[in-house]
Amino acid sequence: MMSKSSLIALITLFCSGWVLGQENVTLSGSVKDGESGETLIGATVAVTALGLGTTTNEYGFYSLSIPAGDSITVEFSYVGFQTQNRKLLLKASQTLDVELGTGVDLAEVVVKANSYEEQLNTTEMSVEAISTKEVKLLPVAFGESDILKTIQLKPGIPSGSEGTTGLFVRGGSADQNLIVLDEAIVYNPNHLFGFFSTFNTDAVKDLKLYKGGFPAQYGGRLSSVIDVKLKEGNNKKLSGSGGLGLISSRLTLEGPIEKEKSSFIVSGRRTYVDLFTRQVNNLNEDKEDYSPIPNYYFYDLNTKINFQFGEKDRLYLSGYFGRDVFGFDGDFFDFNFDWGNATGTARWNHVFNPKLFANTTFTYSDYQYDIENKVTGFSFRVGSNIQDANLKSDFYYALNNQHTLRFGGNATYHQFTVGRLKAGSDDGEINFSAGQDYDGVEVGVYVSDDWEVNDDIKINAGLRISGFSNDGTFYTGVEPRFASRFVLSDRTSLKASYARMYQYLHLVANAGAALPTDVWYPTTAKIKPQTSDQVALGLSYLLGTNYFLNFETYYKFLDNQIDFVDGAELFANDNLEEEFAIGKGRGYGFEASIEKKEGRLTGWIGYTLAFIEKGDYQTVDPFGNFTQKGYFSPIYDRRHDLSLVAIYELSPKLTLSGTFVYGSGDLRWLAPSRFTLQDVYGAGFEAVVPDYRDRNNYRLPPYIRLDLGLIIHFTPKWGESDLSINVINATDRRNTFFIYFEPEFSEVTNGDNVISVPERISARQVSLFPILPSISWNFKF
Amino acid sequence: MKISARYTLFFALIFALSSCNLEQEIDIEFPEADQRYVVECYLEANRPFNLLITQTAGYFDPFPSSDSEYLESILVDSAQVFIRHQGVEYQLNNELYLDFTTRQLFNYHSNELVPESFDDDFELNITLANGQTIQGITRILPAVPLDSVKVEFQSDADTLARVLAYFSDIPNQENYYRRMLHIGTLDSLPEQDFTVDDRLVEESYVFGSAYDFAVGDTVINTIFHLTKDHYEFIQSVDNATNANGNPFGQPSPLISNLSGTAPATGIFTGVSYSREQTIIER
Repeated sequence: MMSKSSLIALITLFCSGWVLGQENVTLSGSVKDGESGETLIGATVAVTALGLGTTTNEYGFYSLSIPAGDSITVEFSYVGFQTQNRKLLLKASQTLDVELGTGVDLAEVVVKANSYEEQLNTTEMSVEAISTKEVKLLPVAFGESDILKTIQLKPGIPSGSEGTTGLFVRGGSADQNLIVLDEAIVYNPNHLFGFFSTFNTDAVKDLKLYKGGFPAQYGGRLSSVIDVKLKEGNNKKLSGSGGLGLISSRLTLEGPIEKEKSSFIVSGRRTYVDLFTRQVNNLNEDKEDYSPIPNYYFYDLNTKINFQFGEKDRLYLSGYFGRDVFGFDGDFFDFNFDWGNATGTARWNHVFNPKLFANTTFTYSDYQYDIENKVTGFSFRVGSNIQDANLKSDFYYALNNQHTLRFGGNATYHQFTVGRLKAGSDDGEINFSAGQDYDGVEVGVYVSDDWEVNDDIKINAGLRISGFSNDGTFYTGVEPRFASRFVLSDRTSLKASYARMYQYLHLVANAGAALPTDVWYPTTAKIKPQTSDQVALGLSYLLGTNYFLNFETYYKFLDNQIDFVDGAELFANDNLEEEFAIGKGRGYGFEASIEKKEGRLTGWIGYTLAFIEKGDYQTVDPFGNFTQKGYFSPIYDRRHDLSLVAIYELSPKLTLSGTFVYGSGDLRWLAPSRFTLQDVYGAGFEAVVPDYRDRNNYRLPPYIRLDLGLIIHFTPKWGESDLSINVINATDRRNTFFIYFEPEFSEVTNGDNVISVPERISARQVSLFPILPSISWNFKF
Repeated sequence: MKISARYTLFFALIFALSSCNLEQEIDIEFPEADQRYVVECYLEANRPFNLLITQTAGYFDPFPSSDSEYLESILVDSAQVFIRHQGVEYQLNNELYLDFTTRQLFNYHSNELVPESFDDDFELNITLANGQTIQGITRILPAVPLDSVKVEFQSDADTLARVLAYFSDIPNQENYYRRMLHIGTLDSLPEQDFTVDDRLVEESYVFGSAYDFAVGDTVINTIFHLTKDHYEFIQSVDNATNANGNPFGQPSPLISNLSGTAPATGIFTGVSYSREQTIIER
């Protein structure tokens, strides 16, 4: 609990600036893309002569206090856009919406040191952002741009095993990431078992990933916040974009409903491999020995509309719906497996006055999976889902140029269906059923102050108080947040942060790979909320005018970490929490990066040294088994991670790009010994039973991958198009996807019988892809 | 019952990727693991006391090329083995014993028969040649009778039938069962072999088959009533075997009911079952 003296200090901190700035007027408004009318997040608004400045918030809104009566020049800038200067004579508070143009050519945009100023000046640290423009220029597998996979090239965010989008941020597990799409939680961000993410790059406006130093408005997960915002839609003219790739096509349409007042965007994509596999199956259906190819496809649809009512109100409605569908029909069975997310967001922005901005949001999230199998005379159906309804309000109050307050709260109603099973014979003779329903209410209130103490010191201090109620049990969490920036020179800043996080939902996932069948489980009387405390220290340095260096080190303490007892039965188990084991964790590491954002050559180099251990597990069931003693490393304990990303604009028509990744191999839990089990009469003996000992005892070979891309740009009369030629895994390295073991048998004659006896066991490594060229065509009009 | 989706996915992946030359043999080097003793003892009422002590081998150690070399490499001899029940101590002698009924091999044996007793513990005490000990405690549970076995053809015109085996769950206690289904003989590998607990079912169980059996086929249904220790051991063996390198599976250490100073795993348990042989008739 927070002490009385801490509370007083916090109140003092928030109020200390109230006496200042009373003779100022306020300049407020929004900064937008001049071509599409999209609001720009993080655009800089500065009055250089007075040393004043701010940035637009995540809704594109800014507010700046300026001494009244002066004639001033206000500079509006944003990376990749032409800077705009406005001369103003401010006698009273004024609203000014500004639109920035991109210019004829990106290379012509003046390279300014202030592209990095915000990164140097902000208290935010441990944050990674990436623009869809960058994502689309980088090489991608099957021509399918993926913003969530690209962000994994940033330091501190090692991916899971090859081909997955599981994120293990600073040693956190895959369920400790809060992934929000237009503020609605996305519970499973994967398509095709993790080969692609659910985010269609054409529809995404912005992605920001927090690894630490979490602002107080975020809560509910321990290790990261991934905030994805959808585009609002072009409010000036009807436009579209899309592409044809090897495995999927996509199309986005956007345009004004009422010019410059309201707009829409609709974006969809679908894979089409199943169209070919169905034809192949049809052609071969008469062949006796033919085994049909399973059908698989995924699709997703993003929609968003927004309306501006007067100068102070804006309403946004957005939605996402995506499904993966896997079907396998045989002579005697009919197996269907589908899963996916649905989200909906209704958001109302209101400007109360030039200093106070509010965002009120209602979101709905749903994730479910459903497996159905029919074998002659029998059927089997199992599914789980989680549904959320969330109401939240955020207020942004630009008190003066020293203090910007944020405060708000949210309440979420969660409903869980865990392992709903129904199995039996068609005639009703045989019946099994299982499954549990739970619900819970999660609440949070927060306040924070972004306080510019003086030119050198800036502090962001906040407090979040969270709570969770389930079946008569109520937990509360006090989550202090603190981030600070100290200017060491005009090129160097030192940053430090601390954040405590609470997580009330837990993913029941008992495998290394993320699976659609993993289910979410609430905090209960026996299962306490997970917590983390993270401290981080960072140094940012601007080298020359165009190279930004960032170094960070962190230490993270984790408590109430979830694992499972040996041999846990997670399927159709109505006493699921009896299978849980609760432990602790600690992670620490160092991250370094150098980034160049402007010029013909752009990109970054990132390096991470990381350690993560978990241990001291106690089983919830007093008779449960968790044989591993002490601390051990989880499978995603990747010691070194190096990534190089480069984009080179060869000419206005040609762009070259490349990414190189080196990562220490992940860990695997392998059996160091074996034995033969005779078993009871009738069972048949098992020649090789693996005898597992210590967890995660084998490190896979390093992961090394070089991807290359060439984009040829065309400018037809109707718009723009490009041909994207990619070579994935250009060195044709066989990276490990997984390892399995295969006993080899020889046949021995024993009297009249021929029996198989084991001869040796071989280890076999399976890779996901060889060198993989691909081509895709993208267009925009 | 086990979910099979993740294993289906595993085998589909291996098939698809091996056809693209994406699979290759690799060398894996482990630090040498300590050897452990493996004890198997299944007490069946009115059958002789038999017990097998073997030892683990390094996972990639080559298998001996002859049966005798193989047995020599895994059998652990020269131990003192006693089983105590109701104050009577039974000594199992270190001798290679082949049970001609079951064709199973044991290296500790007594001609005395296991008493049919469901109320008192059986206590195992093993002292190995090096002085280390292995202990275990178990009981024999009463068999759960099969209520009936039904043969059903899908329609009069169909030539294949399914077999349904019915039995009643014992109420007011936790029960664990193992279901086996053999065709023709118990010496063949079972068509079905799985364990269940009774949390999904309140009263009666029905285990079925697919429409696989023709008139004249012999089908053997067996229902074992397992001790919890035996159930957990089988589950852990299944989990360990199924997850061996499967990226979608979760490895499991063996869950054994043995204790003592020796590094040991395995199972000491009573075994009871109901079995019914059915010849398919229309």
